[in-house]
Amino acid sequence: MAGNRGKFHLLCCGLLLAATGMLAHAERAERQCLDCHADDDAPIHAIAGTVHGSLAGGGSESCVACHGASTAHKQKATKNPPDVSFGPKWPSPAEARSASCQTCHDKGDQLLWAGSEHQQENLSCDSCHNAHEQKDLVQGKLDSEKICLDCHTQVKSELHLPSRHPIAEGKTACTDCHNPHGGVGHAALRQVSVNDNCFSCHADKRGPFLWEHPPAAEDCTLCHKPHGSVNEPLLTARGPALCQQCHAAAFHPSLPYGSEGLPGGSANQNLLGKNCLNCHSQIHGSNHPSGARLTR
Amino acid sequence: MKSMNRLPLQLSVASSLVLAACGVVAQEADTYTPIALQNRPPLKTAWQPGKPLIVQLGAGYTSDDNYMFGQYNGLNKEGATAIGNLQWQDFNSGNNYWKGYVSNLGLDTREGELTFGRPGRFSITAGYDSQLQVKSDEGRTPFSGGSNLKLPDDWVSGLTTADWTNLNQSLHGFDQELKRERVYLKADTRLNRNWTVDTNLSYEEKQGSQDIGGGIYIDASSADAVLLNQPVDYRTSDFDLGLTYSDSRLTLGGRVFYSEFDNQNEVLTWQNPYSSYGPSARYPAGIGGLGEAPDNDQVGGRFTGQYIFSPTIRLQVDGSYAVASQNQDFLDYSVNPAFVVNVPVPRSDYGGDVDSSTFNTKLLLNPMPKLSAELYYKYRDRDYNAPRDGYQYIRGDGGNQPGTAATVYNTNHDYSSEVPGFEVSYRLPLRSRLSFDYEYEKVTRENAPVEETEQDRYTLAYRIQPWSNFTSRLEVGYADRAADTYEWAQDYYALLDTELINATPDNERYINHPQLMKFYMANREQWQTKADFSYLPTEQWNIGLNLQWIDNNYDASNLGLTQDEWYRSNISASYVASETLSASVYAGYDYYKADQTSRAFRGGPEKNAFAVYPPLPQASDPNQDWDGELEDTSITLGANLQWQAAKDIEINFDYSYVDTQSDQNLGTSATSALEASDLPGVNTRLHHVQLAGIWHLQENLFLQLDYQYYDYKSDDWAWNGVQPDTIGKVLTFGQGNPNEQINYVGASVIYHWE
Repeated sequence: MAGNRGKFHLLCCGLLLAATGMLAHAERAERQCLDCHADDDAPIHAIAGTVHGSLAGGGSESCVACHGASTAHKQKATKNPPDVSFGPKWPSPAEARSASCQTCHDKGDQLLWAGSEHQQENLSCDSCHNAHEQKDLVQGKLDSEKICLDCHTQVKSELHLPSRHPIAEGKTACTDCHNPHGGVGHAALRQVSVNDNCFSCHADKRGPFLWEHPPAAEDCTLCHKPHGSVNEPLLTARGPALCQQCHAAAFHPSLPYGSEGLPGGSANQNLLGKNCLNCHSQIHGSNHPSGARLTR
Repeated sequence: MKSMNRLPLQLSVASSLVLAACGVVAQEADTYTPIALQNRPPLKTAWQPGKPLIVQLGAGYTSDDNYMFGQYNGLNKEGATAIGNLQWQDFNSGNNYWKGYVSNLGLDTREGELTFGRPGRFSITAGYDSQLQVKSDEGRTPFSGGSNLKLPDDWVSGLTTADWTNLNQSLHGFDQELKRERVYLKADTRLNRNWTVDTNLSYEEKQGSQDIGGGIYIDASSADAVLLNQPVDYRTSDFDLGLTYSDSRLTLGGRVFYSEFDNQNEVLTWQNPYSSYGPSARYPAGIGGLGEAPDNDQVGGRFTGQYIFSPTIRLQVDGSYAVASQNQDFLDYSVNPAFVVNVPVPRSDYGGDVDSSTFNTKLLLNPMPKLSAELYYKYRDRDYNAPRDGYQYIRGDGGNQPGTAATVYNTNHDYSSEVPGFEVSYRLPLRSRLSFDYEYEKVTRENAPVEETEQDRYTLAYRIQPWSNFTSRLEVGYADRAADTYEWAQDYYALLDTELINATPDNERYINHPQLMKFYMANREQWQTKADFSYLPTEQWNIGLNLQWIDNNYDASNLGLTQDEWYRSNISASYVASETLSASVYAGYDYYKADQTSRAFRGGPEKNAFAVYPPLPQASDPNQDWDGELEDTSITLGANLQWQAAKDIEINFDYSYVDTQSDQNLGTSATSALEASDLPGVNTRLHHVQLAGIWHLQENLFLQLDYQYYDYKSDDWAWNGVQPDTIGKVLTFGQGNPNEQINYVGASVIYHWE
C-alpha cells in the first residue's frame, strides 16, 4: 500500500513538473517584443512618438506590423533574427525590408518603387528613412538634401554655385522636382516632363503665347541648369553668347561683342546690363500683338 | 585643351583598370550593398528628444543690408530679427494623432504645418509657406508709378543717356524683392483595404518687383532702351484629386488636376525718356508698353500603375493628357494712342490652346535569377490648336502702323518625341553587374528648320563590390543624333508676308544665316563617362569619388554651337568617430567649355549668303567669321563638424568655399576688319562659415548660440562701372556687383515640454 502511495506521489510530482514546464514554455512563446526591448532610453522607443508607434493598436503589435511575428526570435532572441530586420546585426535582404514598408506604402509616391533606379541599386526604404526617430529627417526639406547628397555628390557642387534655387535654405527640396521612389519618365521627375516640372512653380512661363520662343516651349534645360549655375539666372552660358548659339541674323545679332564694348570703350548695349534682354525681355514668349520679336 | 580632350579616355582607362584589379584580388561575397549611405552623422539631439513639444525662441542680429547672404533666408536687412521655431506632436489622443511645426517665425521665410490623422486611415494637413527672393538693393531709377511708370515733371530729355542733365537728381533707390506666400491643404483617406483617395489644394501669391528691359524703336538698328522696375502680382491656384486601387497584382492610380495662373497686371507702360524719333514717340508723349505674362490655366488627368504578372514579370505605366489655354484679351498694337492703326488686331485673344500628352511604360523582366531586362517606351506630344493670323504690328511703340508688307504671322510649334529602348543587366561574380542600355529617340517638330531628328544611344555600365567596404561603378555612353535637312529658310517663310518675301531677292530670304544650325536640332555626337567609387577603409571612414564627363560635337554645324564639354569631379570624406563626433569634407571641380562661331553681316546686298565670286558680300565672306570660346570653372570646398564636446555641450560647424570663373575669348580671321577682343573673366568668391553651440542647461532646457560669417565678392563686367547713363542707349540701374561681408549672431533657448 505504501509503495502504491509513493508511486502515486511520484506520478503527481511528475505531472506537476510537466505542467510547470509546459506553462513555462507557453509563457516563453507569449513573450512580446517590449518584454525584452524594455529599456525606456533605448533609441527605438522614439517610435512611440510617431505614426508607426500606434500601428495595430500600438505597443508590441506595432513592432510586429513591420518586423513580422518573429516567433523564432522571441524564443531565442540572441540566436534568431526577427522575420524582418533592418540591422545592424541581422539586416534582412533589401527586398524584404522594402516589402515590409510596402505592405502599407505601395501607392502614391511609392507606387513605382519596384524597378526604380534606387531599388535596382539595392537600396531599401530604410536606406533613407528612419521610422524609429521622432522626426524622420529625410521628410524635412532642409535635411533631406543632405541624405540625397550622400550618394549624388556630383550635384553637391552645383547647389552652391552663385545662381541657384533655395535648396540650402530648405525652401526647395530635391524631392520637389524628383521622386526618389521612382518614376517611369526621365530622371524620376514628379511631373510628366521637364517643362511641366518647372511650371509647377513658374506658372507665368506656361503660356501658351501668341509668339512662342520654341526652345523655351520645348525644354527649359536647353538654356537653364536647374541644379545651379555660374551664370544668372541659372543659365548654361551668359549672354549675348548664349543667344548667339542659335541666332545669327543681319546686323546686331551676328556681331561679336568683346571687351571693346565695355565701359571706357563703346559701352555696348548688347553686351552690358542685361545684354540682349535690354530689349528682348519676353524671352519665354510674348502674348502682345506687337511681340513677334519678343520685345513686347 | 589638348590635355582636357584626352582626359575622358584616361578616365575610362583608369577606371577600367581599377575595376579589373578589384576583380583579380576580390573575394566572393553575397548581394551588392550600397555603402555611400553608411556612417551618416548622428542626429541633432536638441530636436530629437522624444518630447511632444519643443519650442525655440530667441533673437538674431545681421550686421548689414545685403542681397546675397539674405537672398533666400530672410536675413537681408541690417538689424535684429526674432528666432521662433516650434515642433509639436500628440500621439496619445486615442487612435488619432496631431503633429505640427512652425519655423522661422520672425522672418519673411516663415512656414508652418498642422496635421491631424489616424494611422492607416486618414490624414489632413494644412500649411503655410512663405518664401523671399531678394536681388540687388543698389538699383536706382527715375521712374515712379507701379505699372504705369512716369518720369519726374522736370525731366530733361536727350538723344542719349549722357544728354539727361538732371538724371542724377531724378534717381531714387528701390529694392528688388519677390515674395511668395502659399497656403495649402492636403488630405488622404484609406476607404478600405484596396482603395485610397487623396486631394491637394493650394493657393499662392507672388508679389514684389523684378527687373525687365524695354525699348522704343522704329527698326532693329537701334532702340531707346530702359531697365524698368516691374511690379509682380501673381496668383496661382492648384487642385488635384486622386483615386488609387491596389491589390496583390494591380496598383492603379488616377488623378485629375487643375492649375490656374492669374496675373493682376496686364501691361507695364513707361514714359520714353529719350528724344529720338517723332513727336509722338519721343519724350514727353512717347509711351512704351510691355505685355505681361497672360493669365492661363491647365486642366488634365494622369494615370499611373503597375501590374504584376508574376514574380518575374511586371508592367509599369504612366500617362497623362492636359490642355493648357489662355484667352486673355489682346492689347492694342501700341499703348500709345497717337499712332495710326488702320488694320486692327485680327482677333480679340489667342483663341487657342495646347494639348499635351505623355505615355511612359516599362516592362520589367527577371527571366533568370541573375538576368534582368527592361523594355520601355516614352512618348510625349505637344499639339497647338491655335489659329494663324497676320499681325500688322507697330514696331516698338515707335510710329504708325506699317503697311501690309510688314505683316508677320504667328506659328504653331508642335512637338512630338518617341523613345523606345531596352536595358539588360546580368549579375556576375564578386557582386558585380554588367548592364547595357539601348535607346532610340525620334523627335518631330512642325514649323521648325528641322522636321525630324533621330538618335541612337548606347550605354554600358559595370558595377562591382569586390569587398564589403568598396563599391565602384563605371558607365560609358555614346549617342549619335542625325537631323533631317536643315531648312534654314523655314522660319523666314513662316513669319513674313508674301508681299515682303516677293520683294526680297532669293539670296536674302532667311532670318538666321543659312550655315547656322540650332544645336538642339542639329547633328550631334555625344560621349559620356561616369565613374563612382565609395570606400570605407575603417568603420569610421567613408570616402567617395565621383567623376563625370560629357562631350557634344555638332559636327555638321558650320555656324552656331559647334562643340561643348562638361566635366565634373567631386571627392568627399566623412569620419564618424562615435555618436558624439563626426566630420566630413568635400571638394568639387566643375568645368564647362563651349565653342561657337558666327558670321557678321549687314542687311541689303550684304545679306546675300550665296555669292562665290569676289567681291563677296559679308554674308558670303568667310573673313566675316568670328568664333567664341566660353569657359566656366568652379571650385567648391566644404567641411562639416558635429561634436558633442562635453556631456552637455554640442558644437556644429560648417564651412563652404566657392570660387567661380567665367571666361569668353573671341577670335576673328587674320584679315578681318572685325573688332572682337577677349572679355575679362567674371569671378565670384564665397566664404561661408556657420557655427552653432548648444548647451544643455537643464533636463528640458537648452541654450543655442549661432554665428555666421558670409563673405561674397563678384566682378561681373556686365555691371562693373555701369552707371545709369554709361550706355548711350540703355538706362540701367547702376547697381554694381555684390561685395558683402556679413556677420550674423543669434541666441535662443530651446525648451522641451512633456
